[in-house]
Amino acid sequence: MLALALPAPAQGLRALHVDALAMRTDHAQVHVGEVFHLAIHAHVRERLAALDELVVPNVGTMLLEGDERHVTAAANGTDVTETLTLEPTVAGTFTFNPAYLDAIDARTGKPMRFSTNSVRVVVQPPGPTSASAGAVLALIAAWIVIPLVALAALAMGIVALVSARRRPAPPVAAPAVPPATIPPPRTPRDEVADALRGYQHAPATGSLIRLRGALFAAAGVAAGATLRDALLATADPTLRAALAAAERTAFGPASLRDASSLELIDGVRAWLR
Amino acid sequence: MSRPRDVLDALHATIVGQNDVVEALVLTLIAGGHVLLEGAPGVAKTLACRALAAALSGVFRRVQFTPDLLPSDIVGTRVFDQRSGEFGTVLGPLFANVVLADEINRAPAKVQSALLEGMQERRATIGPQTFDLPAPFMVLATMNPYDADGTYPLPLAQLDRFLAKVVVPYPSLEEERTIVDRFGAGEPPLRAGVATLEDVLRWQRGVHDVFVDAKLRDYAVDLVRATRGADLVAHGASPRAALALVALARARAYLEQRPFAVPDDVRDVAPAVLRHRISYDDRIAIAGTDPEDVVRRIIAAVPAP
Repeated sequence: MLALALPAPAQGLRALHVDALAMRTDHAQVHVGEVFHLAIHAHVRERLAALDELVVPNVGTMLLEGDERHVTAAANGTDVTETLTLEPTVAGTFTFNPAYLDAIDARTGKPMRFSTNSVRVVVQPPGPTSASAGAVLALIAAWIVIPLVALAALAMGIVALVSARRRPAPPVAAPAVPPATIPPPRTPRDEVADALRGYQHAPATGSLIRLRGALFAAAGVAAGATLRDALLATADPTLRAALAAAERTAFGPASLRDASSLELIDGVRAWLR
Repeated sequence: MSRPRDVLDALHATIVGQNDVVEALVLTLIAGGHVLLEGAPGVAKTLACRALAAALSGVFRRVQFTPDLLPSDIVGTRVFDQRSGEFGTVLGPLFANVVLADEINRAPAKVQSALLEGMQERRATIGPQTFDLPAPFMVLATMNPYDADGTYPLPLAQLDRFLAKVVVPYPSLEEERTIVDRFGAGEPPLRAGVATLEDVLRWQRGVHDVFVDAKLRDYAVDLVRATRGADLVAHGASPRAALALVALARARAYLEQRPFAVPDDVRDVAPAVLRHRISYDDRIAIAGTDPEDVVRRIIAAVPAP
């Protein structure tokens, strides 16, 4: 865990004893389309019902399949574990920025940013997903077939070479280079779709806040704005309805939450269509 | 049965513009608090109070605060009845449902204290006897920010008793033209008896049922804590300000017939709750900064949940 002093004044920060803050993944190497988990764990000495200060890293081009936050009271404080279920969509090496939380360090009374380590995941192109019996047989067959095919190709190559020497070679077109697969840039709609999947998978406070934040961003307002700011920023009636449903779900009483949650999911789906 | 919206509409029928002022009066009424109005002479501070009092079917008393006013002029006194040979009690104008304390800063501290004690305790002591004030009970106090000579500024601790302080601005050009049209003919049109005292008591009970999420409570506390140590601020707001923020946010949700409060409710009422609970250091005068700008900056710096 890293702790750095915050340059800004400590407005609105809670005083916390942060004993541990770490991030890890269950697979350092995965293939495109293969689901893996990124887990952030925090331990504070205070007894808390929630740790809303914990900020998880941006998952970039990965699809957020789930987001579960568990808060467990322990004898010596509170354990908070947030698990993101991710599915990579493109190959490459991904480094997740550290998760962090801003708080007044209860030991020193100073505003601090507590950060985890960063986490690197290597995503390989789509490959065999399981070592099934069929796959093993296919591998054995390949060991037999490949040498035969290679021998045939060599023979054909010799024949072609001989005939080529007998007549002038026609102009040969350059082999077509397949276009590089550049993933399209992420749009607010993608973020909302990911956040909706996360909310549907685990309708907890964290995923709701993320979905509401994604809707606010889609409306064109930054975090920390209110519903009125968002409604002023967009004239899209479907998005406005989804924003209002998100507000009701986030701030309404528990007795209304089930109904407003369904309304939110329907509203976001309607906007995504 | 009337709704708070009916009182709001009645006030709008009399007052031209001043939407924030009118809403603050109704919100404070629903929340069961008292309100301080500050503005230049002639901007309808007193008229707004009279319109509110007229809309409610209760007892309305107006007291013009002057330097020679005595506490007994507010609270009441004991007089000797020559016929019966006993002392009797005459209740002062404080014993009303709506009390308008006009130019509250023109009376000395002793009179202000008598009023503010009644506001806080909702009872008053005259001689050996203590009397409960009627319910609902609301004090509307006005202050003129100019003509400071011969005034007695209210200390921060006493200002804290007001749930909200509303700054009454000058009207816009169009509003000023409408004022001339509407009031040029004579007495201002007041809508009387829009709501009963029972209605008001029902609203004051019902507002407690409005749900406030923990995130909103935290937002209110964050706003109040942000006033402490902010630039140009000598003393920030007290914890009573956080209670006032939540109370008025609840009232705003109730006014809109919404069973829960949202961040907009807290942010909208924050200026009225915070502006009179902050004292500024000397640099504000040197910098020529408007205190309202400081309040606005503090509110803008705290992200809503």
